[in-house]
Amino acid sequence: MKQRISQIIRDMRQQPLVATVTFIATVLSIFLFMVVVITTRVKVVPFAPESCRDRLLVGQYIHIADPGNGNYGSSGGMSYATARKLYGGLKGVEHTSYFQSLQTQSACGEDGKYFNVYTRPTDSEFFKIFDHKLIAGRYYTAAEAASDLPVAVVSERTARKAFGTVDCTGREISLNHKRYRVVGVVSDHSFLAATACGDVFLAGGSDENQDMFGDTSVALLVAEGTDFGEIRRQVKARYAVFDTELAPENRVTVYHEGPFDQETIAGGIPGSNNTPDTSSDRYVRFTLYALLLLVPAINLSSLLHSRMRRRISEIGVRRAFGCTRRRIITDIIRENFIITLAGGIVGVVLGLVFALTYSGLYEDMDTYGSGVTPALDSVINWGTILIALGVCFILNLISAFVPAWQASRLNPVEAINAK
Amino acid sequence: MGIITLNGIGKVYCTKEIETTALENVNLDVNEGEFLSIMGPSGCGKSTLLNIIGLLDKPTRGTVSILGQDCSGLSDRELSHFRNANLGFVFQSFHLIPTLDVAANVEIPLLYRKGVSARRRRERVEQVLERLEMSHRIHHLPTQLSGGQAQRVAIARAIVGGPRILLADEPTGNLDSKMGAEVMALLQRLNKEDGTTIIMVTHNEMQAQETDRIVRFFDGRIIG
Repeated sequence: MKQRISQIIRDMRQQPLVATVTFIATVLSIFLFMVVVITTRVKVVPFAPESCRDRLLVGQYIHIADPGNGNYGSSGGMSYATARKLYGGLKGVEHTSYFQSLQTQSACGEDGKYFNVYTRPTDSEFFKIFDHKLIAGRYYTAAEAASDLPVAVVSERTARKAFGTVDCTGREISLNHKRYRVVGVVSDHSFLAATACGDVFLAGGSDENQDMFGDTSVALLVAEGTDFGEIRRQVKARYAVFDTELAPENRVTVYHEGPFDQETIAGGIPGSNNTPDTSSDRYVRFTLYALLLLVPAINLSSLLHSRMRRRISEIGVRRAFGCTRRRIITDIIRENFIITLAGGIVGVVLGLVFALTYSGLYEDMDTYGSGVTPALDSVINWGTILIALGVCFILNLISAFVPAWQASRLNPVEAINAK
Repeated sequence: MGIITLNGIGKVYCTKEIETTALENVNLDVNEGEFLSIMGPSGCGKSTLLNIIGLLDKPTRGTVSILGQDCSGLSDRELSHFRNANLGFVFQSFHLIPTLDVAANVEIPLLYRKGVSARRRRERVEQVLERLEMSHRIHHLPTQLSGGQAQRVAIARAIVGGPRILLADEPTGNLDSKMGAEVMALLQRLNKEDGTTIIMVTHNEMQAQETDRIVRFFDGRIIG
């Protein structure tokens, strides 16, 4: 290996321009690919406070139709009562949390200055599913949530804005002129964790609304080893039961394959009255990946071809001494892989640094504009590293195979005598 | 029957416009341990014949038998293995790989032999370089060697795998007379000490006279 690397370095020194262009092209292509992969994967990989994404299912909407009236119907968020009927007490679910969507409220700390915050009413189970890191105080209890006590858990930046310190438990924050006692402070987090994010979490999460529709969502932490399909089957059965309640009004529910996993949520649940289509999303994503690989691979291939032209005589000599055609191909591909890997490592590092430092990258995804870049573990994880390695390998294969194959087909005599 | 038997070898190069006959009905037997030189004017087919004996090129007609094996029907892969096991090559322009040091250049044939560990390869390379008095240059690049030294390294590479046949295409052609004499002496030594069969293409009558037999070529035919 050491010898091979030495040869690569010497070979590149002999053709500094081609070598530099090859290296920079590799770095840039891997960098670009990594940025795209990171921004795509950050929507699905687990990271705090959504470290549970692999086991998370979310129920959000209900769609009710009237078959006797041209299927005219209504769709929208669920009431707490509906959510409990459809998702409460499912087998294979470790924790079930009921919470409401983010609302903008005007907050006011003790200094009397107003600022806007995103509030989210939740039950206490919410903090068992989503790992918001507590930096002061505690989460609110089930009893506090059940009795809708005016207590809140605030984010670090909210605490600083309202009180100038995170040491603020027991103090009061005003939200739309209603006072809440702060019981805990959690660390700031990226709002790319769209299900779990918030500036202020309010004890509650249940509404008194007994209608079918409301603003309640459900998060289900599925037990280890339980198939999502099994949970969905149970939910579908609940829909059937729910339909019996609707029968007197000649209405039925329309089941849209919920509750949804993170990939579906990341794809943007397409409204309350559509069944999500993740396959077309996947198709677009993989086509983009393929293009991002293919274009630089073609350029790198022609650069490698140019480098190989200087080594034709070497190939002839190796063939004379017993190197098979297959070995020529594997040696060139292996050698090129080392170069691609070196460029790939630099590209990956640049990509990671960029992804961690440039919050503008997530502007389009960060619906609520938290401006907080995702945590390190959402960007650097085994999945991303494996993808990076895989990309290097594929890029190498695509770019090196044709020049390697051509080299292997050279006539040894002509190759030896090539100038 | 010799270690190499050429029977009715013909070689024709075809392009769209013309056909060029490089070899015509060449019959040759080379005995084991023989040091044979091939002479003739430029373009008479000497190197073509050497390439055919070296299994780097295929004849248009006739058969090549080496070590009792008819090589005509061997696949490219089998030919590669056969070359690796039995043949060594020395070229006029040395053809050392400029980006590899001396040790790595010499090691090349062993890389393509199954079951030879890196340690064993290193030992064998050191052994051969020592024999050819090139140990002091083991970590040098080819560009740091004189012509004579480069050809010694090329010979080391040719013999490192212990081939029974060494094919040398004008091995002294790029060397001055002193270095040429040294290389000839080295080839003689390998022939005598190891019993390696050597076939050498040369333009140098004096060097050819030092070999066991001279085969003279003209217009693709053996004339003597």
